Amino acid sequence: MLKVDRLGVTRGGRAVLDEVSLALAPGRTLAVLGGSGAGKSTLVAAILGLVPSTGRVTWAGRPVREIRPTLVMQEPRAAFNPALSLRRSVLEPLRGAVVSDERLRRLCAALDLAPALLDRRLGAVSIGQAQRIGVLRALIAAPSLVLFDEPLSALDATVRRRTAALIASVQAEEGFAAVIVTHDLGYASAHADEVAILHGGTIAESGPALEVLHAPRSAPGRALRDAAVSLGALETA
Amino acid sequence: MTLRFPNLSAVRAGRTVLHRTDLAIAPGERIGLVGASGSGKSTLGHELCDRSRADGVAVAHVPQSPDEALDPLRTLAFHWSEAERGLGLAPDPARRARLLAAMDLDGADLGARPWAWSRGMQQRFAIALALIGRPRLLIADEPTSALDPLAAARAMDLMDRCLAGSETALLLITHDLALAARRVTRLVILSRGRVVEDGATADVLDAPRSSEGRALVANRRWTARRDAIAPGRAVAAAC
Repeated sequence: MLKVDRLGVTRGGRAVLDEVSLALAPGRTLAVLGGSGAGKSTLVAAILGLVPSTGRVTWAGRPVREIRPTLVMQEPRAAFNPALSLRRSVLEPLRGAVVSDERLRRLCAALDLAPALLDRRLGAVSIGQAQRIGVLRALIAAPSLVLFDEPLSALDATVRRRTAALIASVQAEEGFAAVIVTHDLGYASAHADEVAILHGGTIAESGPALEVLHAPRSAPGRALRDAAVSLGALETA
Repeated sequence: MTLRFPNLSAVRAGRTVLHRTDLAIAPGERIGLVGASGSGKSTLGHELCDRSRADGVAVAHVPQSPDEALDPLRTLAFHWSEAERGLGLAPDPARRARLLAAMDLDGADLGARPWAWSRGMQQRFAIALALIGRPRLLIADEPTSALDPLAAARAMDLMDRCLAGSETALLLITHDLALAARRVTRLVILSRGRVVEDGATADVLDAPRSSEGRALVANRRWTARRDAIAPGRAVAAAC
């Protein structure tokens, strides 16, 4: 169980994340929503321990860093060293440990990746393939928790839906908990169990995904819902 | 008068990226140009810009990101003056005030450089800039994809309101059929450099004729996880 307890981040004397508390059970998916500057990416960085923060982040009572959560980045073209083979990048999180051929083959199949793609460099795969290889890298060491920072926003609409479906399938197989930062309320409505709406560094509301998305109680939640409906991203209930 | 663009095409590095296309655009029409990445949408937009200019048709282009429209070293007031000068228009404070107010930018500091404004404000400014010369055709190439949904919805709503009742036709380029379906009355779908659908929005959504159109229509909504593609059933990894 992920437990985020009164997490705070201050930048330039200003609280960009203020007493944020969340919980997420193994295998479940939490979507973190909010406008630009709401603190979404800072929350991800703080959970991963990448920025100085106050409060506690634990997994089953242990500091979360002990379970080595992984991250899928927004822009796959910036997520890999272009000079290395993708295989080398994918195997990096193992820190020298060995992955069985069978596991690698199974993960590749689940993510609709031909294993031979891993012998290429970044420039020789499509952006959709690069993002799925980013997911493969995040999963290779079988983490219990994976964070996704806008994982689909660099992809076109059709590839977004396919990639989201593949991530959901592999999550069902692997059982990791997922925290997904996204601007896309349609994605959250289709794939998240729970959502948290951030506004000004605090949680405006959180709860079961469909309930919050279709009947938001907070003003930031309603503004996001209305914007998503007006952009065609979310169907009216 | 309807704008007619016969024989549009484009070749890049010896490869045809836009096959011969004829397009007619009525005054005030709202058209969505939709397709996957690499289908030729932006290329068609650029060809329409070039052809319009060559034919003496007033055209304006709003790019995906305000970074492409605005010089970070110049003030916003400078951008406005340059746009007026480029169009051969005398400075007109009343026009400036009207367009900025229409995009909810009245009172904003034009002496600032773009980075002092939010991205949403920058993009709304780029739209206001594009409307200075009362273009007959406004080409908006993924105008909201660099914005968060709050800023995106606001920019789209204000642009729609600005264009309502005007003779300016809008070509909205987007990969997102759900967005286009909410905003335009005609859909043109491109696939691999060819127009595969061109019709009223409702007709294309109801009965797409091409396989690409059918795929886009089928995928325009999110499918709940319980209905997700099972491993091994995914379509070929072409993307």
